Amino acid sequence: MDLFFDSIQSAIALLLTRDPELLNIVWVSVKVSALSTVIASLAGIPGGFLIAYSEFYGKRLLLTCLNTLLALPTVVIGLLVYSFISRRGILGPMELLYTQKAIIIGQVILIVPLICSLTIAAISRIDTRYRKTALTLGATQKQMALVIIKEARYGIGAAVIAAFGRVIAEVGISMMLGGNAKGFTRTMTTAMALEYDKGEFVLSVALGLTLMSIAFAVNMLFHFFQGRTRVDAV
Amino acid sequence: MLYKIRKMTKTFKNRTILNLEQLDIEKGEIYALVGANGAGKTTLLNILSFLDKPHTGQLDFCGEPVLYGNQQLLKLRRKVVLLDQYPILFTGPVWKNIEFGLKVRSIPRAQRKKRVEEVLNLVGMGDFFHAEGHKLSGGETKRVALARALAIEPEVLLCDEPTANVDAENQAIILNILQQINSEQKTSIIFATHYLSQMRKLASHTLTLEHGHLSQQKKENSYICTVITRKENGLLCFLNNAVSLFLAGNNHPEVEKGTKIHIDPRRISIGKSKNSLAENTLRGVVVKIEQNNTLIGIDMDCGLRIRVILTKDEYRDLQPQVGEKLQIGIPDEAIEFSP
Repeated sequence: MDLFFDSIQSAIALLLTRDPELLNIVWVSVKVSALSTVIASLAGIPGGFLIAYSEFYGKRLLLTCLNTLLALPTVVIGLLVYSFISRRGILGPMELLYTQKAIIIGQVILIVPLICSLTIAAISRIDTRYRKTALTLGATQKQMALVIIKEARYGIGAAVIAAFGRVIAEVGISMMLGGNAKGFTRTMTTAMALEYDKGEFVLSVALGLTLMSIAFAVNMLFHFFQGRTRVDAV
Repeated sequence: MLYKIRKMTKTFKNRTILNLEQLDIEKGEIYALVGANGAGKTTLLNILSFLDKPHTGQLDFCGEPVLYGNQQLLKLRRKVVLLDQYPILFTGPVWKNIEFGLKVRSIPRAQRKKRVEEVLNLVGMGDFFHAEGHKLSGGETKRVALARALAIEPEVLLCDEPTANVDAENQAIILNILQQINSEQKTSIIFATHYLSQMRKLASHTLTLEHGHLSQQKKENSYICTVITRKENGLLCFLNNAVSLFLAGNNHPEVEKGTKIHIDPRRISIGKSKNSLAENTLRGVVVKIEQNNTLIGIDMDCGLRIRVILTKDEYRDLQPQVGEKLQIGIPDEAIEFSP
């Protein structure tokens, strides 16, 4: 237990002194994860809405595929993207491998199904009378979609938060596609794995604490806005 | 002509839920849509509000055939509004709910605010401008939803059970508003209801749906007819086994057991003496007098209850009193048979 408490003590000291290496790792992690989440949301939320509100042949199969993709291991995505962006891959000339862009591509693939599925679930729970009411009051299809998305905003917000949590905590994609290059593609999770391998627990624990704090802060922020909107509504 | 429907069907899971051979709906009138649960009232209202489309048949609106492309539908939906049986308000304050229809039509903000205030005052909810939609009671929600529908000044207002689950006070308010906008703005109104009293009070026409079909059976003055004797010059029948009536002429259909007979209340003549009346006369006591829109309904107890409808002028000439004994005359053209 001494090792654990000593590590925590040293980690807190490291955080309080705002160690430049630590801050850089945190910055890369947050930046990459935030960009992945934004891009995936831009694709996943409208995609989820369309799937939820359309009737087409094979919809059930598509939903099953989306749910299956939720269980896709990060290393599988890493391998898949690697095969496209490595020097021998068809996107090799773009020199994406071991860049932050590569991590973002992999992470977007990881969380688009998650955002899409949770958006479908959130929108499916919305009363169909909202759609009917918006249309009979003269809304266009786009205006109607905005009404539905507004009514489902808490569910969609939760989907985005869950997606952010998923990417900021993943290690497989960041390691395989980012390469864990110091000061460039080293994220919190890859750094933790490296420090663990080296037997250096202090930085690992400090990063773990930071990671948990970020996840906690993001959730608090979401609940704060959710709560405030609900209080306003009451 | 507002709506013209020809050979329209709507099916759901291989079951025909609406099958209308012919239906014409006039502009500026109030129509009551009656029928049991599952008769197809809501389905018809959804089709008339262009939120749903029939599987077969023709629907014309204002003389033009309805086309189901997104742009054409948007144009039509902006003339017609449907008030749901259980309306739902969007999250947010009442004023935002009401201005929704105006905002999607790109009406300027100042004009929107003015209109929101007008319609809120019209439904007696002027103090609820900033209230949250989700905090309102059922009756208040219906009134706000009605205000939201009226804000856009629709040509046609379709209401699915406008007073269902609403207390008596709110019912009266809603019915008065419907009557007011029909008479002042000439808004055509079609409303589904289970209440015959509302149908009589508000509607100038009644559409009866039975299992998806437009029923010929009228709700007023419908009786079971039993033939006593068939003569050369007509039939002598028993109505509801209570009153005998002679139906002159020899072209009456074969009357089977359980055949319904309908006496059109507008064609029945009423007077103090027998002389001025048609051949089939009955004597009865006035038991109820009520005003139905621009007409006066008089319920006569002649051994069975028969309703007579008079114009205001006819009523003024006759001046009937409750309890007074009067004669009614039933001409042959007032009688219809239905199986």
